[in-house]
Amino acid sequence: MFKRIPIGLRFLAPLLVLLALVFAYPLGYSLYLSLTDKQVTSQEVNFVGVDQFTGLIHNSDYGVAMRNTLIFVFCAVAIELVLGLALALALQRQRRARDLTRSFLLTPMFVTPIAVGLMFRFLLNQQLGAIPEILGKLGITIDFFGPGLALATIVAIDVWQWTPFMVLLLLAGIESLPKQPFEAARVDGASAWMTFRRVTLPMLRPVIAIAVLLRALDAFKVFEYVFATTRGGPGNATETIQYQIYRTGFQFFRLGEAAAMAFVLVAVVLLLVTVLYRRILRQEATA
Amino acid sequence: MKRLITLCIGVIAAALIAACGSGASSGGSEKAGTTDPAKVKGDVRLIMEEVPDTDVIKSMLPAFKKKYPNVNVKIEAMPYDQMRDRIVSSFLASKPTYDLIIVDNPWMYDFAQGKFLEPLDKRIAASKGYDQSDFSEPLRNIANVKGKTYGVPFYNYGLSLVYRKDLYRQAGLQPPKTLGELKTAADKLNTGGRSGIAMQPQKGYKIFEEWANYLFAAGGSIQDSSGKVTLDSPEARKALQAYIDVYKSDAPKNSLNWAFDESIRSVSSDKSAQMISYNWTLPNVNKEGKLKGKFDIARVPGGKAVLGAWYWGLPANSATKDAAWSFVNWVTSKQQEKQRVIAGGAPVRNSALDDPQVWKKGFGKPYYQTVKGILGDSAPLANGPHAEEMINVVGEQLNAAVAGQKSVDEAISTAAKKAQETLDK
Amino acid sequence: MSAVGRLGAPARRAFLVLAALIVAFPYAWVVLAAFKDKAALNEPSKLSFSPTLANWREVVDGGVLGSAVTSLVVGLVTVAIALVVGTLGAYAISRFRTGGGATRFGILLSQLMPPAVMVVPLFLLAFDFNQRDTVQAVIVSHLTFVLPVATWFLIGFFDAVPREYEEQAMVDGYSRFGAFRRVVLPQVLPGIGAAGIFTFVLSWNDLFYALILAGGNTETLPVKIASYNTFRGVELGSMSAAILVSVVPVLIACFFVQRRLVRGISGGGLKS
Repeated sequence: MFKRIPIGLRFLAPLLVLLALVFAYPLGYSLYLSLTDKQVTSQEVNFVGVDQFTGLIHNSDYGVAMRNTLIFVFCAVAIELVLGLALALALQRQRRARDLTRSFLLTPMFVTPIAVGLMFRFLLNQQLGAIPEILGKLGITIDFFGPGLALATIVAIDVWQWTPFMVLLLLAGIESLPKQPFEAARVDGASAWMTFRRVTLPMLRPVIAIAVLLRALDAFKVFEYVFATTRGGPGNATETIQYQIYRTGFQFFRLGEAAAMAFVLVAVVLLLVTVLYRRILRQEATA
Repeated sequence: MKRLITLCIGVIAAALIAACGSGASSGGSEKAGTTDPAKVKGDVRLIMEEVPDTDVIKSMLPAFKKKYPNVNVKIEAMPYDQMRDRIVSSFLASKPTYDLIIVDNPWMYDFAQGKFLEPLDKRIAASKGYDQSDFSEPLRNIANVKGKTYGVPFYNYGLSLVYRKDLYRQAGLQPPKTLGELKTAADKLNTGGRSGIAMQPQKGYKIFEEWANYLFAAGGSIQDSSGKVTLDSPEARKALQAYIDVYKSDAPKNSLNWAFDESIRSVSSDKSAQMISYNWTLPNVNKEGKLKGKFDIARVPGGKAVLGAWYWGLPANSATKDAAWSFVNWVTSKQQEKQRVIAGGAPVRNSALDDPQVWKKGFGKPYYQTVKGILGDSAPLANGPHAEEMINVVGEQLNAAVAGQKSVDEAISTAAKKAQETLDK
Repeated sequence: MSAVGRLGAPARRAFLVLAALIVAFPYAWVVLAAFKDKAALNEPSKLSFSPTLANWREVVDGGVLGSAVTSLVVGLVTVAIALVVGTLGAYAISRFRTGGGATRFGILLSQLMPPAVMVVPLFLLAFDFNQRDTVQAVIVSHLTFVLPVATWFLIGFFDAVPREYEEQAMVDGYSRFGAFRRVVLPQVLPGIGAAGIFTFVLSWNDLFYALILAGGNTETLPVKIASYNTFRGVELGSMSAAILVSVVPVLIACFFVQRRLVRGISGGGLKS
C-alpha cells in the first residue's frame, strides 16, 4: 500500500499535509469571503458571485494603490539591486575589519519594520528631526513627506532596510563564482568595466534573478512604513495595496472586498513573475 | 487531489455560513441585574487600550473588589489597532473572548447595528442614581443608535485650543473667537524660531478631526439631523480655505504628515505657540520642563468643538453580563467618576466637572469649566453606518487639498459625494 | 578582479564607509533617544542632555526581555519545523519533479497572501482550538510564510547537487532515503543553515500575525515595540530602548554567523 505511493510524493507528503493544515482553511475561508458581501458589522452574508471582483475594476482607489505599489516595488528593488551589487563587490574585496563591516551592514533587515517606519518618521521631520536639521545647515530644505516626494521617501526607507538582503545574496553569489573566467579576462587585458559586464554580470544572472524575485515578492507587502509615516497621503500618493486591504478589511470591516483585493493582487503578481521568469530563463538558454 | 481540496473548501465554507448565521441569537435578552453586590458573581474579561485612562481604571479595581467581592475584572490592555481587530474577532467567534469592551465613538453605530452590543436602557433605568442628564447631550447622542442606548461614556477626547498663556499676554491677544482671530493670533505669534500654530494635516482621521472645528466655526455642518451629508456647502469651502491659509502661513514647514504626536512635541518644546488638540493634553504639557504652567486651554474658535469619546459597551455574546454591568455601573457612578477624575482620568460627568473638590485636587476650576463647555457644545465627526470609512474618505480629500493636489472646490465636492456614497453602502 | 575592486582601494573604502555611516545614522539617533528623558525627547535632534535610565527601567519592567525570549522561541520552533518538512519537500520537488514546475511557484506565491486576509480565519481557528494567545498559534501563523520561503530556497540547493552523487550511493547499496540522508543532506547543510537564518528574520520581524494572535505573556518583540506607538503619542524613549534590545543580539549573532551564512548561500542554493 505505502510502497505504491511514488517516492517523490512520500518525501513531499509532510510538506503538503502541513501546508494544507496551515493554509487550506484560511485560504478557503478568504476565497469564500471574496465571493460574498461579508461585513464584520453585519450578521447577514449574501453570496454575490464575482461582484467584488468586477467592483474593483470600477474602484479608482484600488487602481491608484495598484499603480503606487508597482512603482514602489520597481523603484525599491531596482535601487536595492544596484546598491546591493556595488556593496557586494566592494565587500568582497574588503579585508580590514571584514566580519564587523559585513555584519554591521547586514543589521538593518533585522529591525522590525514598524520600528524602522517610526524611526524615520521622526528622523525626517522638518522641525523635530535630525536629517532636515543637518540639511538645513547646508542650506537644503526637502519636504520628505510632501506631494512630490512622499513615495520616494517610502522607497528610501525600504532601501535602507532591505539593501542588506541584496548584499547578502549577491555577496554569496559572487564568492561562489569560479575563478578561471576572471583569470582569462585578465590575461586578455580586459578593463574592469568589461570584466564586470562580460564576465561577472552574466555569471551572476541566476543569483540576481532569485534575489530580485524574493525581494520583489516581499516588497509587494509594504505596509508598515506607510502606516507609520503618511497613512497613504498626501492625497493618495502613498496608498499601497496592502495598506488598502488592511483598511478595507479591518478598519472598514468589509472582509469580502478585502479578500477580493488580495486575490487580484496575487493574480497580478503571478502574471508578472511568470512573464519575467520566462524571459530570464530564455536569456539564460541563449547565453 | 484537486477534487479533494475543492471538497474541503466547500465543506468549510458551508460550516462557516452556518456558524455565522447562528451567532446573532443571543442578542435580544436584557434584564436588570441583581442589586445585592455580594450576589453578583463572575469573571469579567475586559479589553482596554494602553493609555493613561486605563491605568486610572486599574488603580480603582481594589475599591471595586471591596464592594463586589465575587466579581473578578481582568483587564487586557493593548494598542489601539490591535484592540479593534481583537474586539471584532471576539464578536465573530463562537464563544466570546471579552465580556466587557470599550467602544470608540466611530464604531458605535456599526457595532450596535450589527447586533454585537447589548442595549442598556433597561439596566440604566434600573440603576439608582445613574442620572442620564449628568452626561452632556452630545455625549449621550453618540451612544444612542436608533432610539436605544448602547454605551455609557467612559472618557472624552473633545477638542480645544491649547495655547501659550505667556505668549498671548505678551502679544496682547485674547483666545480667538472666530477663524479670522485665530489666523491673526497665529500670524502674530509666528516668529523666526517659533511657528504660530502646530497642525495635524495627516491624511485620514487626523486632518478631519482638526478641520471640522474650522467647519463648525464657519457655520457649516457634516450631516443634518436625518444623517444626510451636508458637506458640500459654501461654509465648508470657506473653512477649508481658512485651514489652508493658516497652514501655509503659520504651521511648521513641511508638516503635511503631522499627527498628534508631532504637534504636541512641537508645542511642548517651544517650537510652536499653540495647537488645536484634546482638552486633556493641558495637564501633560503643563507638567514639567521650562514651559511648566505656561499653557492654558480655550474653547475652539466659534465655540462648537469636535467631540470624541470612549464608551463602555456590553457585547451581546458576553458570558457574564450582570457582573460586567455591575462594574460599568459602579465605575461610572457619580461618586467613582469623581475619584476617577481626581486620579487624572478625562471627565465625562458634569457633576464631577462642577465639583469643588475635583477643582482643588485637580487642575483648577477654569479648566474643568472649559471642559464642561466643550462637552456641552460639540459633535462627533460622523454619525451613522461606516463612520470610520466616512471619516477616512473625507480626510483623504482634505489632505489632498492642503497638499495642493486638488482645488478647495474639487476636494469639498468629492469629499461630500464620497462620504454620502459611504453612508449609503 | 571586479569593477569596483579595480577602482582602487581608497574609492572602495570610501564607499563602504559611506554605507556604514548611512546604516549607523538612525542607530545613533536611537541610542541617544534611549537615554533621553521625556522633555529631551521632544527635541529628538538635540545632542546635549542629561542621560537617564528611565526608559530602560520601563522597558525591562514592561517585559521586553520576556518578549525577546518569546520571539526567539517562536522563531526557532517555526524555523525548525519548516526546515525539516521543507527539506524533504524540496528534495522531492527538485529530484522527482513532483507536481511539476507549478509547485515551485505555487509554493512561493502562497507567501504573497496578505496577512490582513489570512489572519481572521487563523484567529477563528486558534479560538476554536482554544489556542488564543499561545506561542503555538503564532508559530502556526508564521509557518504560513516561513514554510513556502524555506522550501523554495532549499529547492535551489538540491538542484545544485549533482544527481550522480546519490546514484553512485545507491549503486553502493544505500536505500533511497539512506542516500538522501548520508550523501545529499551533508551537501546542502550550509544551505539549510542559510535558509534557516533568512526565514528566522521573517519570523522575527513579523508584526501582523503576532499582533492578533499573541497577547499578554506571549507578546513578541515587534508587538512590544509597536505598543509604544499609542493613541496618546509615540513613546520614543522606551521604543528606542526596545529597538536596541532587539538589534544588539542580532548584531552579535550576525558577527559570528555571517561568514557561514555567506558561504552557506553560495554553497549552490542560488542556482535555480
